[in-house]
Formats: sequence, C-alpha cells, structure tokens
Amino acid sequence: MIVISGLMNGAIYGLVALGFVLIYKCSSVLNFSQGHMLLLGSYVFWFFKSALGLPLSFSLLLAIGSGFLAGILIERISLRKLIGQPLISMITVTIFLSLVLEGLVSLIWGTYPLQHIKIFSGSSIRVGDMVLATRNLFAFALALATALALILFFRYTRLGLAMRGVAEGHQIMQSMGISVKRILNLSWGIAGIAATIGGIILGSTLGFQLSLSQIGLLAIPAAFIGGLESPEGAVLGGLLIGISESIVSGYLGNAAGVPAAFIILIVVMLFRPYGFFGLEKIERV
Amino acid sequence: MLKLNNVEVKYAGVILVLRGVSLEIRDGTIVSLLGSNGAGKTTTLKAISGLLHTELGEVTAGSIEYDGGRIDKLDPEQIAKTGVIQVMEDRQVLEHLTVEENLRLGGYIRRNGNIRKDLDMVYDYFPRLRERRTAISGYLSGGEQQMVVMGRAMMAHPKILLLDEPSMGLAPLLVEEIYAIIKRFNTEEKTSILIVEQNAKAALEISEYAYVLENGRVVLDGPSSKLADNEDIKEFYLGLSKLGEKKSYREVKHYKRRKRWL
Repeated sequence: MIVISGLMNGAIYGLVALGFVLIYKCSSVLNFSQGHMLLLGSYVFWFFKSALGLPLSFSLLLAIGSGFLAGILIERISLRKLIGQPLISMITVTIFLSLVLEGLVSLIWGTYPLQHIKIFSGSSIRVGDMVLATRNLFAFALALATALALILFFRYTRLGLAMRGVAEGHQIMQSMGISVKRILNLSWGIAGIAATIGGIILGSTLGFQLSLSQIGLLAIPAAFIGGLESPEGAVLGGLLIGISESIVSGYLGNAAGVPAAFIILIVVMLFRPYGFFGLEKIERV
Repeated sequence: MLKLNNVEVKYAGVILVLRGVSLEIRDGTIVSLLGSNGAGKTTTLKAISGLLHTELGEVTAGSIEYDGGRIDKLDPEQIAKTGVIQVMEDRQVLEHLTVEENLRLGGYIRRNGNIRKDLDMVYDYFPRLRERRTAISGYLSGGEQQMVVMGRAMMAHPKILLLDEPSMGLAPLLVEEIYAIIKRFNTEEKTSILIVEQNAKAALEISEYAYVLENGRVVLDGPSSKLADNEDIKEFYLGLSKLGEKKSYREVKHYKRRKRWL
C-alpha cells in the first residue's frame, strides 16, 4: 500500500524531473524553478476552470498552452544570457526566479488554498486487501503516460533527435543549419508543459495550494539520481524517490520523507556521480 | 560563386585577425587555402559560414557574396540554407549519438528530401560508416569520425563545402582515402569545395587554385600547379630546400633566406 502510493507520487516527480532534465540537456541550465513552474501551471488551470468556468478539456488545453508559453517566456527573459555562465549564476537566477513565480502567484490568487476542483471521480477500487482511490490511479496513469510520450518523442522523432543534438553542442548544430534558438525555445516550452500537467494532476488530488511547489524540491534529486541527461532516468529516479519517500514517511513519520530523498541522492552520487543513466564523458584512450 | 572582398574580421572588437582577405571560388572548383597556424584560415571559413558571432567575432569591413547575394550579415542557419556548409575542424561529431543519428541531423535542413536515399549516398562514399552505423560516435577512431563529419555535411547536399583541415591527425593512407573521396564528391555532385589545410602537398594536389594566407592576409595565390613549383612555397610549406631535397638543417642560414613576398 505504501509502495503503491509512493509510486503514484513518484510518477509526478518523474514527470517534473523530466522537464528539468530536458532543460539541462538542451541548454545546460539547471532550472531550480521547475517546481514553481508546476505551481504556476496548476493555478493557471484552476483559473480557467474555476474562475472562468470553462469546460474541462478546454481549460486543459489552455493551461497546457500557457505552460508552453510560460516556458518560452522564462527562457527568453532570463536564461538566454545564462548559457555558458558559471554555475553559481545559473543557480542564483533560477532560485530567485522561483521566488518571483511564487510571489506572482500569491499576488494574483492569494496565499490561501484555492477552491477544490473535481476532475476525477471520488470512487475507489479494491485490489487485494488494499483500497485505492481511482483518483490517484488516474493521476498516476496520466503522469506516467505523459512521461512515456515525452521519452518516445525524444527517441524516435526528428525534433527529438534535434534536441538531443543540441544537447551535444550548440555550435556544431548551428554549422549544420539547425536553429538552436528555436530548439531551445521548444525545449523550455515542453518543460513548461510537463510542469503544467504535473501541476494539474497534483492540484486536483492534493488541492491547489502554494505548497505544490515543494514537489519541485523532490523532483530535482530525482533528476540527479536518474542522470541529468537521461529522460528515462528522470522518470525512474522519480519513481524511486516516490517509493522511498513513501516508505520512510510511513515508518518514521511524515517529516522524514524529504530528508530521506536527499540522503538517497547523496548515497547515489557517491557511487554513481553521473546518476544511473547519465551520459558519461566519452574519453578515448 | 563565392566571393570575399577585402574581408576584415575582428574578435571582441580589438583582435584583428583577417586584414583584408579577398578570395574567389568558382562553381564546381576545388580551391585550397594554405597557411601555417594562426594565419586566420579557420576564421576565414567561420566568416563565410556565419559562425563567428558565437566567438565574439564579426566581419567589420568588406563583404562576402554568394551567388550574387551578400551573406556576411546572415545567421548561420540562413547561410547553411543557401547551400554553404562548413565541416569544422577537429572532427566534432555529436558524441553520444550514433553514426546514423549524426548523419540524419546533417540532413535535417532538407525538409522535403529523401533521407533514406541521402543516407545510402553517404554510405556509398564511406562504406566503413555503413558497417559502424549504430556505433556511438564518440568511440569511433579519428578517421571514422572525420568520415562522419564529412558525411554529415554531404547529407545537406551542399552547393559549396568548406572543409577545415580534413587531414588533421589522420594516418597518411587515410588522408589519401579521404582526399580521393573529396575529389569524387566534387566530380560527381559538382560541389565547389574550399579546403583549408596545413598539409600543403595534399591540398595542392587536389585543388585547381590555391591561396596562401599569412597573418590575416593573402600573400600569394594562383593555380595549384604553379604554386607547387614556387620556390618559396617549396621552402616554407613543403619542406623542400632549394635543390628539391629535404631540408638540411646544417646548412640553413635563416638570415639569408627570405620569402619573396615580404
């Protein structure tokens, strides 16, 4: 039971981690504001659905579209100049960006949790001697499906290949006539979409509140554990963190979940500095 | 036809690298650009293909024309679309991608092309790549990596191919193989080729016309056969002493021998 609920959370971590990995892969930027992009995405969805009263599918599409735009906007405004800059600048800018996003969200929608939206039915099913809420199952399936779709996109489509190429070297790609700017825009946009979908799922299960951004805090170690250049690794890392957080919380109490994730991160980094699926630097001897 | 008119290139606004370079590459010909290290050869190529701005370089004077239109102020993507494709020096493959993925990306700009046919064309030129098509490019040997980067450029069906030191770091036999392929590509596809080389012998053998660059200026140019016979080229670039033999360092008197163009 604990493991199953951990898996469900893990899928969300995996999805957000995927966005994080995507941005790092293409633009070599560590986007510490990924969690807050999730927050923004979820609130924007709430806005369309609850405040404006638009139908569900419409709100979903609009929210996803705005997530895409938000990603591109963030890239344009803040990150263009950061490519190639020292790590410390990158970390500082993205962390402050997350604060800006949180402030923006609070400014527009207040700091109290928002009115709940029912997307999934409240029913539950019995599997063996466990009771699972259908809601959570749907959420898990959706998150996993999105993550898988993105992974397939990278592996098998032309655009996905171009993104992997940009991850290898910007100048090389430019010499081949490929617009690196456009690919970077797209990669941030897709990361925005991943964050938004994650936000929508989380918001509908946990409620639309400011603490949703904490998920970002856990998705980042997931990305590191899986390997910063590997989308598959991000998803698996997410699942791992989800399960371990769940198990630790179950046995040691809620507060122990988050530190446990980071302890696992440290342990993995000691043995596998590139993460489980990260791309090692290719050295020919 | 590609024409450079008195091109001046500066890095970071202060480092003057090209001081008025004028070149001409007629359609379908192979032209070589010779010079020792630091002469400005790679900068010339990057000025043509538009890659200078990522290194804080810019063309501050002069113009670069291709097919009658100016290309010196364009983005590298736009320049590549006009058919000017550069193969950068140092065999820069996309390391973690396979050979075939590298080639596919080479053909990316040909939106309406037949990728399968283009891949077959490249594998026809480089049979070794066909054998190694699923190998991770970073682990290939130097010669194979050079084939990958050249194949990548060929996938884009260039009208003019800019090759930056194709023979660098390769075994002599492999250099011959690669040069034979370059010649074949020029003959079969009618692509103009500008080869930047330090290996003057190989470059002069394959090209019809050659320019010699020193300190950012063209100091000598002419048909390759004439340059190969030129005394100064023989002495300073081909390593032959006046008598056509290898240089004897015992008899060198630097103060006596000067390049005639200085």
